[in-house]
This record gives sequence, structure tokens and C-alpha cells, in this order.
Amino acid sequence: MLNRKLVKVLSFRYVILAVVFVILAGGLLLLPKHEKQEGISPENLLANAFSPERYITTDELADRIINQDPSLLLLDVRDESSFKTYTLPNAINIPLSKVLEEDSQPYLNQNAFDVILFSNDNFHSDQAWILCNRLGYKNLHVLKGGLNEWYNTIINPKKPTENMASIEFEKYNFRKAASMYFGVAYPEKVVQKAEVKKYVPKQPEAPKKVVPKKKKKKMPLEGGC
Amino acid sequence: MGPLIPNDIIPFEWNSIIAIVIGIFFGFILEASGFSSSRKLAGVFYGYDFAVLKVFFTAALVSAIGILYLDYLGYLDMSMLYIHPTYLWGAIIGGAIMGIGFVAAGFCPGTSLCAVAIGKIDAIVYVFGIMIGIFIFSQLYGLLDPIHNGYFQGYVTLMDSLDFDPYWFIFLFTIAAVIIFAFSDLIRKRVKKVFY
Repeated sequence: MLNRKLVKVLSFRYVILAVVFVILAGGLLLLPKHEKQEGISPENLLANAFSPERYITTDELADRIINQDPSLLLLDVRDESSFKTYTLPNAINIPLSKVLEEDSQPYLNQNAFDVILFSNDNFHSDQAWILCNRLGYKNLHVLKGGLNEWYNTIINPKKPTENMASIEFEKYNFRKAASMYFGVAYPEKVVQKAEVKKYVPKQPEAPKKVVPKKKKKKMPLEGGC
Repeated sequence: MGPLIPNDIIPFEWNSIIAIVIGIFFGFILEASGFSSSRKLAGVFYGYDFAVLKVFFTAALVSAIGILYLDYLGYLDMSMLYIHPTYLWGAIIGGAIMGIGFVAAGFCPGTSLCAVAIGKIDAIVYVFGIMIGIFIFSQLYGLLDPIHNGYFQGYVTLMDSLDFDPYWFIFLFTIAAVIIFAFSDLIRKRVKKVFY
């Protein structure tokens, strides 16, 4: 009896399978839609946020600016008024509130430049970095310490004391030279220049010796090809 | 989580081993469902056997529905899957040539190897023909290269190019498949029975 029933059911097996199929496909339609996580996963974001890889030191940045690194793109994430008061040379202003706007995307989401984000500290630039990293943008860096650190190290470097390691002196020399590049005038340098002008009398110019150059005789062209 | 190999859950070195194992099972199931018989394969075109149509349609649907569910539940990242690049005219012309070969010989390249494995002589001839075709293609490659590598459309899917919701697409596709299965059964009943 049972066997006969089973046979009867199984004679509809293809119909049953087709119905299962349609139900499964229809189930896809009925699933509650949820927004898919876009950008990188939270685990990756956390790992990136912990990693100090994104930071660039002020010394490194100064070196790259002085060497006129063409791949450098400086982005100032402070507000417009601070940007107008003082900023790094050739920096572009994208206030933190405008980081996600359409106009800022070409600067942030690109592969050609090394973008350096900076603000007064690295606080706002870090926030901008997190947002952009979440969106999966590449080549973003943060100026460690921001403009305050820039001022303390490059613009106004601290003179090392005598008991410090020689490397500190080298660093100081570099920073001092860099600050001069960025337009800081040191009194001792200015004085020295003036002294040079005062004490060294102008030497009379030696008469120019005219050395007649022998012109090379042009050889007549001989049949080449 | 998935795909397993790109996400390093299974080491990359297992790639070919897994491929071989899957290939063995694929061949086994092809043979078990009678796909190494050219009469069965050609039946689609003459209307006395629609097993090929049903099997491949069902396989495509099972995997499509399965992938969408896995993607929805987060077990599989669908954006990481390989999508075959579209070279429009290369695909159209190649598809037509393959179709002619299919209906003329009663094998597709996969099933022909399956049939060679069980010693069918027509399949051996067929595979020999494939080799000749490959040889001609490679000799004329300079001529055919603009078609082979031209008309590149990118890694597109039907859903991208039609701008269609994948869930609706699969649902309509499933209903269409069921209707086609029923319709093909009707045809099969009308056509004179062929014994093979």
C-alpha cells in the first residue's frame, strides 16, 4: 500500500522539483533587502587604523617638497580661513566637511599621486584618512603631527644641546636648511651676508681674453648612402 | 568567507588538485547520465531527447540560485568571482562554428573526451577533428587576431548590461526554464520515438 503511494508521488517527481526550484528562486525575491557593506571590511579597517604606515614625518615631507617630487599632492583638511592664513606650498584645500563631496573625489580617489593629508594636528587628517580608507581609496598618507609639528621641526627647529648624539645635529642642520628653503631668515646668516659685502672689495674685472676659435673646416659631403 | 582560494582559506597550491577532482566527478556524471552518446546529444536538435537542455539549464540555475543565496548570507563575495570577458564577435562566430560542429558530430568538446574515455570511435574521430581545427586556427591566427581580441566589451554580465535586478532576473529565468522544460516534453511526446 505504502509502496504504491510512493510510486504515485514519485511519478510527479519532476513537477515537484520544478516547484521547489520556483519556490527557491521566488524566495530570493522575498528576502528582506539589506544594504551591502561597501568598501573594505571592518577587520581590514581596524588593521589599517592601527598601522602607523600611513604617517609621513615632517622631515620626510620637507625633503620631498625640496626635491620637487612630482608625485606629491598636499591636501589641507582645515577650514578655509586657516588655509588662507597659512598652509604648505602648493597645498589644496579640502575641508574635512567636504571630504565626501563630489568635487573632492578626483583628488582623493586616484592612483597617480601620493596624497598627504594634513591639518593642525593629525587629528582631523586622520579622520579624513579613515573615511577615505573605508571607501577603499589608495595612496593616502597623513602628516604626523600636522602643521604644529611642521612648525616645531621645520620652521622653528630646536637647537640640540651639546650632549646629544651627532644624528640630532645632522637633523638640526637639515631642518635649518629646509626652513631657509621655506623662507625663514636667520639673523646670523643675514649678517654674514652683509659682512661679506662690506669687507670684500670688488675685484677689478680681468680683461677678457679672446681666444680665437679655429673653425673646423667643413668636409664636403661624400656620397653616403 | 568565500571564494575559498582567493581568500586563502584553501592554499593556492590545491587549485589544480581540486580542479582535477572536480573534473573527474564531472566526467563521471556526464557518462552516468548518458552524455557520451552522440545520439542523445543530437536528440536536442531533432526533438526526441531534451536531456542536454534540461541538464545544463538546471545546472546553471542551481548554481545561480545557490550563489545568490550564499552571497546574501555573506558566505561568498560575489564581486570576487571570475567573470568571463566578452569579445562580442569572437563569441558569436565561435559559437556558431561550435554549434555546427555540435549538430554535425553530436558532441561538444567536453562530452567528446568523455566518449573517448569509454572508447567510442566517432568521438575519437571528433577529437581528431578538434585538433585539426586548432591547428588551422593557430596557423591563421594572424588573420583572425582582430576578431579574436577585438570587440572587447569588458567583464560584463547580463544583469549589468540590462541593468536588471539579479533576483528578479533569476526568478524570471527559473520560470522560463520550467516552461521550456514542459514545452520540450510536449515536443518529445509528439516526435516519433527513436531507440538508441
